[in-house]
Amino acid sequence: MSLLKKVFLVDLFQGLWVTFRNQHPKHLVTEQYPAERPMVAERYRGAPRLNINPENGETLCIACNLCALACPETLIVVTSERNEQTKRKELTTFTYDTSRCMFCGLCEDACPVDALELTQDFELASYTREGQIWDRQMLEEGPRPTPYKC
Amino acid sequence: MTPDATFLDSTELVLNMGPQHPSTHGVLRVILKLDGEKVLGTDCVLGYLHRGVEKIAENRTWAQFNPYVDRMDYVAAISNGLGYCLAVEKLLNLEVPGRAQAVRVILTELNRIGSHLLWLGTHALDIGAITPVFYCFREREATLNIFEKYCGARLTTHAFRVGGLQYETYEGFEKEVNEFCDMFLPKVDEYEELLTGNRIWIGRLKDVGILTGEECKEYGVTGPVLRAAGVKWDLRKAQPYSGYEKYEFDIPTCQNGDTYDRYMVRMQEMRQSVRIIRQAVASIPEGPIMGKAPKVIKPPVGEAYVSIEAPKGELGYYVVSDGSTQPYRVRVRPPSFINLQALDRMIAGGLVADVVAIIGTLDIVLGEVDR
Amino acid sequence: MAATPWDSELARELKERFGDRIIETSTYLGQNFIVTKPDAAIPVLEYLKLEADFDYLVDVTAVDWPKRPERFDLVYIVYSFARNERVRIKTYLPEGFKPESSVGVHLTANWLEREVYDMFGIQFAGHPDLRRILMPDEWQGHPLRKDYSILRQDQTWVRENLEIESGQ
Ligand code: SF4
Ligand code: SF4
Repeated sequence: MSLLKKVFLVDLFQGLWVTFRNQHPKHLVTEQYPAERPMVAERYRGAPRLNINPENGETLCIACNLCALACPETLIVVTSERNEQTKRKELTTFTYDTSRCMFCGLCEDACPVDALELTQDFELASYTREGQIWDRQMLEEGPRPTPYKC
Repeated sequence: MTPDATFLDSTELVLNMGPQHPSTHGVLRVILKLDGEKVLGTDCVLGYLHRGVEKIAENRTWAQFNPYVDRMDYVAAISNGLGYCLAVEKLLNLEVPGRAQAVRVILTELNRIGSHLLWLGTHALDIGAITPVFYCFREREATLNIFEKYCGARLTTHAFRVGGLQYETYEGFEKEVNEFCDMFLPKVDEYEELLTGNRIWIGRLKDVGILTGEECKEYGVTGPVLRAAGVKWDLRKAQPYSGYEKYEFDIPTCQNGDTYDRYMVRMQEMRQSVRIIRQAVASIPEGPIMGKAPKVIKPPVGEAYVSIEAPKGELGYYVVSDGSTQPYRVRVRPPSFINLQALDRMIAGGLVADVVAIIGTLDIVLGEVDR
Repeated sequence: MAATPWDSELARELKERFGDRIIETSTYLGQNFIVTKPDAAIPVLEYLKLEADFDYLVDVTAVDWPKRPERFDLVYIVYSFARNERVRIKTYLPEGFKPESSVGVHLTANWLEREVYDMFGIQFAGHPDLRRILMPDEWQGHPLRKDYSILRQDQTWVRENLEIESGQ
């Protein structure tokens, strides 16, 4: 570095000029969560949901157990009962332990009828460990986080 | 100190740095032996983040283990995933379609940029420059947004599957990646404006932690550290994988092998990554995204070692199959772990303040060191 | 697909030099490997480094095969910058055998061998600093052995040091 540059602190002012350029309000990037909802992508892998058929309100799940087999953490438990009239398996309970889930999406990929889906909800916190284990009802209705009020 | 110690004598002081120290980048504990400000020796205590990833692999199927590799070097999860997929594909002797290869390259290079940005921000923060970290995270956010739109996760992405890709690119993927490239190059110049000529930056980094090319080879150090010592070696060129031979790019090198040179190499590498991404985006072929991977992955009995150039160095997977659906052994060759071993040599004779600079310049991620 | 013999000048040279201490030189999936007798691994590494430019030790690792009489595979992977070639050196070790350390040849081996010791309990003779590296020093058992499972982990250590019932 030449002496003149050193004396006049050129490197310092050069850096300050960069910071100054970035002061302009159009460079603001901070998201004001939770006051402002962040936009998550369409493919976001968040809270699980067990889809129901909108026409008759029945679950889409055929209790094939493939999701439970695909899961690396084996955190899904599916139980079913054979319906004597239709000779088909029917879902009785479905538990999903979100506290151990790593949202890898393997269960969703394995489901043959798109019944299990990872959705855009991302607020999964709960006050207890037990609250992290979701049953069938919770999975069908989705999480209900308390909205933030300023 | 013994009573008869004179002014000139000094006793050795043992200082514990970490495991909860902001500039050890995680839970690394370094025991420093000091003579005043001078470092006489170091001893690293590892394992605070050890999760037994290699043991987990033996209890999962080949496909199920895939998301776990993201959790080693979580800053460059996509590179980890690529290495693992390539290793299993090698065992299966599987061909990956061109489209999948191109998308893989784009995402891995974006991830390399993200990893280098995180390194730059935190390294500068360690040295005392607070501004770059905000700018770096701002640009890294753009790469994370692309990952989120592509596969639905930002950090531990699980973006690739054995045989190809699970997700087709989203609408406007090419445009968005190109926009990122256009936006990003001037930003690199901006970081350089902040740091490259800054006298404090130069003073703290020049001639600190020198590691020559020969020493690098002795210690098995790879990646930007090796290239900063003047060895022009990059696995993407030496043994191209996933179609890297199709793209034109340079391997940036420097001569001194000090901390400043490693900074320069990484800055250049980000520019080269942009070059690769531009070429790859321009030439994504049409076609399927999944190769002829069997539904249940069951590689024949055998073993293979596949390595890729991760942002931190050579990331290798040594996979052994006994013909069943579960891996018999998955060994990860973690670049951070092996690079960290050279810390002792780099620090010898340096000052306490240099320890921070050197740990920062090695660009370690403790998730990968401890696995 | 099975491994095929590795036909190259280097393989011939090695065979000539080490005779029947080299058991096999083969190629599988385009990757070359050498199987040596346990006492020949270090001389082979040294020969490769000094005479054939394999100056970069990529990795040292092991594989446990509890049903075999020689229980462990010890694997060294070396790379040559000049030839752009990678070779694996494998030896089969029985339980309790103490192979010689390779730290004298490649400094990289220091931590890698410590990790192998930590995970498999293979003791390296002549290693300068053979301590556990990833697991705590007082931990019992070697996690990557096949007979070690989550149920057999060191509960005493967990209770004493973490003050919880179990680590699971
Ligand atoms: S997202 Fe992954 S970890 Fe979670 S339930 Fe599905 S398969 Fe299991
Ligand atoms: S894979 Fe789908 S259909 Fe089968 S049990 Fe799981 S959610 Fe139900």
